[in-house]
Amino acid sequence: MKDFQQWWKMADIFQALLNPSTGGENILSLLLSLIWLVFLMVFFLYPSFGQRMQLSYMLRDLERKLNKLKLIKEEIGQVTVDTIKRIGKPEKDPAPEIERLSEFFLIQPESMDPYGLVYKLEHILETGEYAYEKEVAKIAPHATEHQLKSLTNLVEVLRGINTLYRVVRHYYLLGKKTSNIYMVLQIQMILPMLIEIAESYRHAAVAFSKGQPIGDGIGVLVAAKLADGLEKTRYEIAKDTIVQEIELENRKVYVVRPAGPGGTVGKPGEAVKQLVERLPENPKLIVTIDAALKLEGEESGKVVEGVGVAIGGPGVDKYKIEELAKTRGIPLYAFVVFESITEAITPMRESIAKAADTVLERVKKLILEKVNGGETAVVAGIGNTIGVGG
Amino acid sequence: MMSSEPSLVFAPRMKEKYPQPLTFLKCLSCGTENSRPFKEDDYILKMVDSEKCPKCGGMQSKIVNIYVPDKKPAK
Repeated sequence: MKDFQQWWKMADIFQALLNPSTGGENILSLLLSLIWLVFLMVFFLYPSFGQRMQLSYMLRDLERKLNKLKLIKEEIGQVTVDTIKRIGKPEKDPAPEIERLSEFFLIQPESMDPYGLVYKLEHILETGEYAYEKEVAKIAPHATEHQLKSLTNLVEVLRGINTLYRVVRHYYLLGKKTSNIYMVLQIQMILPMLIEIAESYRHAAVAFSKGQPIGDGIGVLVAAKLADGLEKTRYEIAKDTIVQEIELENRKVYVVRPAGPGGTVGKPGEAVKQLVERLPENPKLIVTIDAALKLEGEESGKVVEGVGVAIGGPGVDKYKIEELAKTRGIPLYAFVVFESITEAITPMRESIAKAADTVLERVKKLILEKVNGGETAVVAGIGNTIGVGG
Repeated sequence: MMSSEPSLVFAPRMKEKYPQPLTFLKCLSCGTENSRPFKEDDYILKMVDSEKCPKCGGMQSKIVNIYVPDKKPAK
């Protein structure tokens, strides 16, 4: 009998839980009814309550990811300091100077009047590059010329992650301060992509600290392999950029590429311009080889060819070659190797490295097809030459 | 109160390893290609005269490639 009473009491509580407004006659039922009523009142009288809850959830998620960015930034900072200490052997702690360089900025030229914009941009980029290299040289006095270039790249990676972190933190704090769900939503939506880029920076920092070839260097690798063993003469034609003259079945080929194995992209636009202007007659074609960003679902290391100038970056080099080719009527051919943004700045993957031989064969075939014996062609390897010598 | 820096109490830790590239050397005597883990002064097309070819014992070789091997899909 006692058991039955207990069971009945339990059933009553259960019924109250299932239907608090009508079920049962106990205190629990009343309490639950009150809670439901309060909830309903909150949602009726405070319509943005749900949005506030969502915002706090989103801010928590953002904070977690921001912490991850902060850790990556600190790790890259540590790798930079350690590498500069190891290679540059500075007399005093380079950390404060590195911190200062990580905040270095370039102001884009005014584009209201676009006349001469490319050259203004080139001037600013060159000034920035020169100043940056000099500053890195000061904190790494024992680094060789090539090591200095790689160290400059490393500090640039730190600058990149620092900017990324500061921008994300800005939107997080601003969204939190103003309780602006739409601002927080926008940064939350793109954050997975930004985290991926940050992870790439982390791997890139190690590649630059050790001098490992990166995916972006595929164009340079093809050019270096093309000239390997065939080089007749070489000379520097623009800052950090060399020309190797080779002969391919009675065709003269000028191979333009950044001088490795330090990390630099050289000045391919200026180099091709200078070279073509010096030649007694126009080359039959200009071929550029570079890495290109693949679309999701595409295979890394896939080789694709087309026309135009395959050069990324701010556009100065691309503009110079296009201008030159248009004025002189030189056909422009391009080969690209597909890779992701991560693969472009991290140590070179097998699939990408092996694509170099495919591109090499296709470039040779193109030259033999389009250029007659006794004529000339220009082949420019584009990208960062870290870890590629020759 | 709003802090300018997010707290690190529940922060994730970096556990991922860095990809380790291999250096591929081609012996100039017998043409055999060998690989070993990347060393800091290695670069592609570098002439190496301090490493013995495991096949012919030749001391002259050239670095022909440096890359991170692709992960083979599990069968």
